[in-house]
Amino acid sequence: MTSMEWRLVEIAARLLERDEREVVLGDLVETGDSAGRGLVDVLDLVVRRQILLWKSWRPWLAAFGLALPGSLLLMGTSVCLSLTYQRLLGHRILDVIPLTQQDELLPWLSQLLLLIGCSWASGFAVGSVSQRTLWVSIVSSCLPCLFCLARFRVESLSKLCLLLFLAPAIWGVRQGVRVIRIKLGPAIILAVSVTVLMLPTWRSPRIYNLVLIWPAWYLVATARRSGRGRATLRSQMGEESTAR
Amino acid sequence: MLGEFEYLLITAAAGLGDKAYGAVIREEIEATTGRRCSIGALYTTIDRLETKNLLKTWMSDATPQRGGRAKRMVRVTPKGVQAAKDFYDAVTRVSRGASWVVNRPRSAS
Repeated sequence: MTSMEWRLVEIAARLLERDEREVVLGDLVETGDSAGRGLVDVLDLVVRRQILLWKSWRPWLAAFGLALPGSLLLMGTSVCLSLTYQRLLGHRILDVIPLTQQDELLPWLSQLLLLIGCSWASGFAVGSVSQRTLWVSIVSSCLPCLFCLARFRVESLSKLCLLLFLAPAIWGVRQGVRVIRIKLGPAIILAVSVTVLMLPTWRSPRIYNLVLIWPAWYLVATARRSGRGRATLRSQMGEESTAR
Repeated sequence: MLGEFEYLLITAAAGLGDKAYGAVIREEIEATTGRRCSIGALYTTIDRLETKNLLKTWMSDATPQRGGRAKRMVRVTPKGVQAAKDFYDAVTRVSRGASWVVNRPRSAS
C-alpha cells in the first residue's frame, strides 16, 4: 500500500471511534489487504455504524425535533430582539428614554434572557441526546439558517441579527457533548426561568412557545439526581452507547 | 436462535481459543467458507453478539506487526457456546433426510 493510498484509508477511518479505528487499521496492516479493499471495508463499516445509530430515536429527536425547529424559531426571536433593540437605541440612553420606551426595556431584557436560555438549552439537548450524529443535527440547523439568510429583506437590520442565538446555542452544544447531563438544581432553575420569561409572550400559536421551552424541561427530566450517584450515570451512559 | 454468520463467527472464535481476534477470525471464516468477509460485517456482528452476552471482547496491547496498533480480542462465553450448540443441533435435525445429506459420498476412513 503506498503512502498516498494508506492516507486515504486513514482519513476514512477517522469517521470511526478511536478504539475501533486502531483495531481496523491494525487488521488491515496485518492482513496486508490492498488499499482499495481496505478503503471499501472501512467505508462499509462507517456506513453500517451510521445505519445502526439511526435505528435509535435519539438522532431523529436531536436533528428533526430539536435542531431544525429550534433554529427556525430562535431566528425569529433573534429578529424580534434586534428590532426592539433598534427601537430602543433610537432614543439612545436610559435617562432620555420616554416612559413608553422605558416600558419596553424590561420586556426586551427578559426577551434577551429568554433567547439565551432557550438557545443554550436547545444546544445542550442537541449535544447530549446524540453526540455521534451531531453533524446531522448541525446540518439540519444550518439549512433553515441559510434559507432565511438568503431571503432576509429587512433593510434596517443586518443579516447577522438572524444568528444572535448561535453563540449561546454553540456554547450549549459544547457543554452537552462534554457533560451529557446537568445537575437537577440548575436544570430546574433554567426551566422555570425560561417558562416564566415565556409567560408574557404566551400567545397563539402556542406550539411556538412549547417548541422553545421543551428542551429546558427535557434537561430537567434527564438531569442528574444527586442521590443516584455516579454508578447510575455510568450505567445509563453505557446503555446510551449500546443503543448507538 | 443465531444467524448463519453469527454461528460462523462464534465457531471460528471458539476454534481459535485464546488467539481469537478480528483479523484472524476474518481469515478463518474466509478460508473455511471460501467467501469474502468484510470488516464491517465482522465488527458489527461482534458488537451484536457481545450485546447478547454471547461474546466478550477486550483491547489487547499494541503489536509491531500491526503497525503498533491494538487488537480486539474475542472470547466465546458459555452462553455463546450453548447458542452455537443449539444452532448446530437444529441444523443437524432439520437436515436429516435431505437429499444432499442422504446421498453424500462417504469419506474414506
